[in-house]
Amino acid sequence: MKKECIAMLLAGGQGSRLYVLTSEMAKPAVPFGGKYRIIDFPLSNCTNSGIDTVGVLTQYRPLELNSHIGSGQPWDLDASTGGVHILPPYQGAKGGTWYKGTANAIYQNIGFVDNYDPEYVVILSGDHIYKMDYADMVQKHKEAAAACTISVMEVPWSDASRFGIMSVNEAGQITEFAEKPKEPKSNLASMGIYVFTWADLRRYLTEDEADPASENDFGKNIIPKMLNDGMKMQSYRFDGYWKDVGTLESLWDANMDMLSPDSGLDLLDESWPIYARSMSAPAAFLGSNAKVNHSAFNRGCELEGIVENSVLSQGVTVAPGAEVSYSVLFPGVTVEAGAVVKYAILGEGCRVGAGCKVGCDPAEADPDKWGLAVVAPGCQLEAGRVVAPKIMLNKNGEEVSR
Amino acid sequence: MKNMHGIIFSYEKRNDLRELADIRTAASIPFGGRYRAVDFALSNFMNAGITDVGVVLHGRYQSLLDHLGTGKDWDLSRKRGGLKILPPFAYRQSWGGETAFRGKMEALAGVRSYLNEIRQDYVVMMDGDLVVNLPLKDVLEKHIATGADITVVCGNDSFKVDNGMYIQLDDNGRVTDVLQRLNTPVGYRSLDVCVISTKLLLELVDECASRDQYSWRTDVLQARKDTLHIHSYIWTGFAAQIRSVQEYYDRSMQLLNSDVRHELFCAERPIHAKSEDKSSSYIGPDGKCLNSLVADGCSVNGVVINSILFPGVVVEEGAVVQNCILFKDVQVGRNTKLSYVIADKRSQFQADRTLMGHATYPLVIAKDTKV
Repeated sequence: MKKECIAMLLAGGQGSRLYVLTSEMAKPAVPFGGKYRIIDFPLSNCTNSGIDTVGVLTQYRPLELNSHIGSGQPWDLDASTGGVHILPPYQGAKGGTWYKGTANAIYQNIGFVDNYDPEYVVILSGDHIYKMDYADMVQKHKEAAAACTISVMEVPWSDASRFGIMSVNEAGQITEFAEKPKEPKSNLASMGIYVFTWADLRRYLTEDEADPASENDFGKNIIPKMLNDGMKMQSYRFDGYWKDVGTLESLWDANMDMLSPDSGLDLLDESWPIYARSMSAPAAFLGSNAKVNHSAFNRGCELEGIVENSVLSQGVTVAPGAEVSYSVLFPGVTVEAGAVVKYAILGEGCRVGAGCKVGCDPAEADPDKWGLAVVAPGCQLEAGRVVAPKIMLNKNGEEVSR
Repeated sequence: MKNMHGIIFSYEKRNDLRELADIRTAASIPFGGRYRAVDFALSNFMNAGITDVGVVLHGRYQSLLDHLGTGKDWDLSRKRGGLKILPPFAYRQSWGGETAFRGKMEALAGVRSYLNEIRQDYVVMMDGDLVVNLPLKDVLEKHIATGADITVVCGNDSFKVDNGMYIQLDDNGRVTDVLQRLNTPVGYRSLDVCVISTKLLLELVDECASRDQYSWRTDVLQARKDTLHIHSYIWTGFAAQIRSVQEYYDRSMQLLNSDVRHELFCAERPIHAKSEDKSSSYIGPDGKCLNSLVADGCSVNGVVINSILFPGVVVEEGAVVQNCILFKDVQVGRNTKLSYVIADKRSQFQADRTLMGHATYPLVIAKDTKV
């Protein structure tokens, strides 16, 4: 069945800079904003943009991700033609390989894309928090008759050297691309969202695969090659909220942004809903002595202690006399009586025993030794345990280094 | 359990529900912050492994139909079996003039062809206005073990409910009498849940139809208490029959008690609601929320005490909400004071309003009202 446009979502990355949070799940499956997982953002953007066919390329630890996506029903992607498809690496008659790079992942699934014979393919990744209308981007791509359109946003000049930086002319055409340049010529950063005319991309993927020197990566190989060949490469400016949540600090930051709609990340706005697969649990209960301020919480929470400036996912318990501040608690976390959690990220199902102390305020610690305290999913902290700031614990409660 | 079929009855007429039932049946009244009353019956079925469910409709069922959808939230959207909606159009109007049936037996006679298709040996019948978390597997096991013809589930109290039925038992738990409309209830409160074999149900439906008998209570339970073995199953947990505003209010407020809540929403038999996509709830820097149930997508910048907030409720700065139940998307403006108010969907209270009900007479504000 022919589709004008389909999306391919790269979700195979480990997200190694999230350390213990991704030791047993792929980065796109990491919880976000109390209710979501990171991948809910691109999937919901697809649905809201009218893209009904999405291939999700998985590789690293896909169990959590697969069960989250399921039939795609929460995003209305359980269609009879199209819908969401999970695409892991596979064995063919002549063997097979893991996905060697982002471009190779698409290359290995040329057959899937060809099934829909699309004019355009949107390439997305599963590690950004943003709301964006891909249909508008595809429309601009069509109008410009481009081979490739890359969404870009202005970043502070001081940060520019951390991104892929585009130089563009007055018509928005990309003239130069530099991956993490030491001396950036522009502050327009690539957001890792591409629209390609499929016939062009298909040709470049095939050529790239034939080149043994290539790393088979969009940013390193495909984009520079197309630019070099003089293909029409267009930029698409985006000025809404967008954040790469690939590090512990940026994941924490983005969660805190959610608490302040001024940040641009307004999830209560229902004109562009983000859909999620959610669990069955009763409404949250706040006890008679609870003190909850400037915080988000979800169904299944039982809050009887103090919660400030924090994001609590579904099924979190904060016992009487416990205190949680400036922290992000993933689903099912329990903080027992008298425990204090500050500037921390606690993974799914963690239990913080009575009287534990996890993390601390920046003012209380030596600046060199301060950082977020992070506890892996499933970790059970025995009563009274102290976890210093910047410390990371694996699920057995052992310290691991960043 | 493959051997049980579920039937839910949804009645239109419940006068004491006032504005709450203007636009819906009791079965689709919002309850407990994020449920509709019928979610409990459906989840009880689901947790007992029941895959085939018929819902008998009476009137004002638009809201219930919207809520049920294909039944997928209760795993009832199935290739074989699943959810069957039985609207009153399906009934033969042999009793002349009436638009809908007069009682359960007449309703069942009207959908005889649906009953013929039941592939399970037992049927559990339940009312859509009952809020409970029953272990129905256990009820069926007991039904089989006692060798009863019919098992009726009773609450362990004689609490007075609107249009209640009270069961008298002998020492073995066998039903000796069935009484209705008592001013001073005695015996055990019937929850109007019963288990019966499909074969016997069909026989009774046909027998009643042939004699123009239409009532399950009068023509089956009362009339046949001596000829049939009717046994009881006593339920000691929470069981609310949503039949009046007062009962609705009192029973809702019981959920603020943790023991009641943990029993009704026990982890081994979860209650499933229709899924929705509200974001997390948020309490602002100066907001305060105590002893309350708060569903997803609420935003509280004022004060909320002893209340139940459904999804998407907004309480602005300076507002004080006490002892209230606010349905989905209700907005409470700045400095507005609400006390003992049940506000239906999307009602709006503008700034500086004051509305006070009383514990014995909660104010009901109809859907979409602007105050």
